[in-house]
Amino acid sequence: MSLQLLFDALSLGGIYAIAALGIALIFGVMKLVNFAHGQFIACAVFALILPSTDAVAALGLGLLPTPLLILAILGFGAGLAVAAEALVFRPLRNASPVALMVGSFALGVALQNFLLVLYGGRPKAISLWAGLGAPVRIGPAEVPLLQLIVIAAVIAILLALGLMLKRSRLGLEMRAAAADFGMAQLLGVRANRVISGAFALSGALAAVVALVMVAQTGVADVRMGGQIMLIAFIATVVGGMGSLPGAVAAGLAIGAASALLQAGLPDAARPFRDAFLYALVIVVLLFRPQGLFAAADAKPRV
Amino acid sequence: MKYACSLLALLALTAPARAADDITVGFAIAKSGWMEAYDTPAATAAKIRIEEINAAGGLLGQQIKVVEADTRTDRAEAAKAGLDVLDQGAQMMVVSCDYDFGAPAALVAEGEGMNSFFLCAEDVKAGLQGVGPNSFSSSVLAPVQGATMAEWAYAKRDARTAFVLEDTFIEYNKGICTGFDWMFPQLEGAEILGRDTFKNDDASIASQITRIKSLEKTPDVIMLCSVMPGAAAAVRQIRAAGIEALILNGSAVDGSYWLDAVPGLSGFALPVQGTIYGDDPRPEVEAFNAAYEARTGARPASQYAYPGYVLIDLWAKAVERAGTVDGAAVTAELEKMQAEPTAFGPRSFSAELHHQNTALMQIVEITGGKPARVDEWQISQPVPLDVLLGK
Repeated sequence: MSLQLLFDALSLGGIYAIAALGIALIFGVMKLVNFAHGQFIACAVFALILPSTDAVAALGLGLLPTPLLILAILGFGAGLAVAAEALVFRPLRNASPVALMVGSFALGVALQNFLLVLYGGRPKAISLWAGLGAPVRIGPAEVPLLQLIVIAAVIAILLALGLMLKRSRLGLEMRAAAADFGMAQLLGVRANRVISGAFALSGALAAVVALVMVAQTGVADVRMGGQIMLIAFIATVVGGMGSLPGAVAAGLAIGAASALLQAGLPDAARPFRDAFLYALVIVVLLFRPQGLFAAADAKPRV
Repeated sequence: MKYACSLLALLALTAPARAADDITVGFAIAKSGWMEAYDTPAATAAKIRIEEINAAGGLLGQQIKVVEADTRTDRAEAAKAGLDVLDQGAQMMVVSCDYDFGAPAALVAEGEGMNSFFLCAEDVKAGLQGVGPNSFSSSVLAPVQGATMAEWAYAKRDARTAFVLEDTFIEYNKGICTGFDWMFPQLEGAEILGRDTFKNDDASIASQITRIKSLEKTPDVIMLCSVMPGAAAAVRQIRAAGIEALILNGSAVDGSYWLDAVPGLSGFALPVQGTIYGDDPRPEVEAFNAAYEARTGARPASQYAYPGYVLIDLWAKAVERAGTVDGAAVTAELEKMQAEPTAFGPRSFSAELHHQNTALMQIVEITGGKPARVDEWQISQPVPLDVLLGK
């Protein structure tokens, strides 16, 4: 039972961590909370099927063989995010953070309505990878194969991202930009390159979340992504705005807490699971208002 | 030539006057936004019935005219859409499927003493209790659907143990579970082994599945009270985990469009007012399906077109009997209806309830990924008002 719970908690937390990472990456380099991230996820899901308002969906990109399909969707997510940056956020680069945030909201609404026009309001079924839910026996626990894949993918992504940030030039530039954007620019870091890179990574991470959601649920809905975006945003706040390890840790913690509450709360209280979850978030923020892993520059220097 | 001119002049004069004599039905419904997918089929069905009535000589000797306004799936816009159709001369208002999105327009109609009909609302509030004395819905209440599945599964599938999995997203889901919880435990030897909740957009229901699997014995049925897309996601995860129990749901998951999410699904049953699969025993239902296809180019995607047809049918009958479209007079006639025959089964209204607290429902079961009608069932006693109101 407890091993089962551990896997349930880890896999849900893993999804949230990847989503939170996507938001934290962009916040790190340009102090933008990208509220369109949830719609990036939804767009990546819908990219699998052909645009049509018919009730029955036909696969589009989803017809590709699996390795190509994964690459195509990751590329689609990255491309969408880079395009959004170039068309929406670049012209707003010197605007106030509030204007940027409102811009991201507007982009999210526009993307959602674009999906509504192309695909209609009815949820669509996507017949992909139904076998991934099959349970695998590990000791006393029966774990869906997909949970193992999610956990493995999260670990792989975190390792790869960690290496990239530590070892590659782009990674170094991103960390420099996150620490002090103005100083980094003065020292020759090209702003456009770093910001586009962050958006591409963030979009690809949104696509990872999209693929996991599709494998898990088998459906596409224009409103999907909203709930994950909210939790991911909360995770970046709890983790400390701008801190990548913080976002990952908080995403994992929120997912794990959610799974534990679902398992542990009494019957009558279970419908209010999220109320308990957010109460925990408030408690954490009361003790650490700057978040668990606050970035060094989070506090204004006097 | 002179005659022709005066004839033309006469026509020109009478044409607008004739229009003023029409009876105007206002549709304040979602023509854009996500609700559109649910409102359009029912509104199309309503218009099919209106055309049939017009072709047969009209209502009270007058033709029925349709005016429309878009709620954009927005509660504030819904009130404006209500005022809009009112300005266009509506004498009866048809509002959005869902209580939350239909009520703002229905309240506008109520303020004018006009009748309003929800296209397919199945929450008791969408009528007398939530809007006012002149508001109705012709669909079948959600608790009736849950109770129908409970009694049918008990009688026909020997279901003695159940697990209830409730999606807390909308009131409709709660209604389905309320009906099941009322009916199932009162059947002899039937027991609810456990229950859990989830949210429609939960990324995973692994914890809930762990709870089902840790029951001492597998339940005979799982009552899933959910709507799309969460329902398909839940069924996919339940089956993937190797739980093969019969899954029951309400009418909201009717239609084969979501079945690709769970390839080869078997053992999933739901109640419907009529079947869209061409196997309804009543010829009127198939005649409607054909009329719908002739008009839109496709058969109805789910049973939720039907209540639109029924509501115009019932309202028109009440108007004929009252001899007027005045709200209070038509309401009085509607409230006299007891087992009034319609193409989709008898319907009743009363001074206490403007909804169906019992109905003959067709049972559709999905086997090997194919839905088909397997049975029909009407609950042995109507769902009491106290249960409907959650007292």
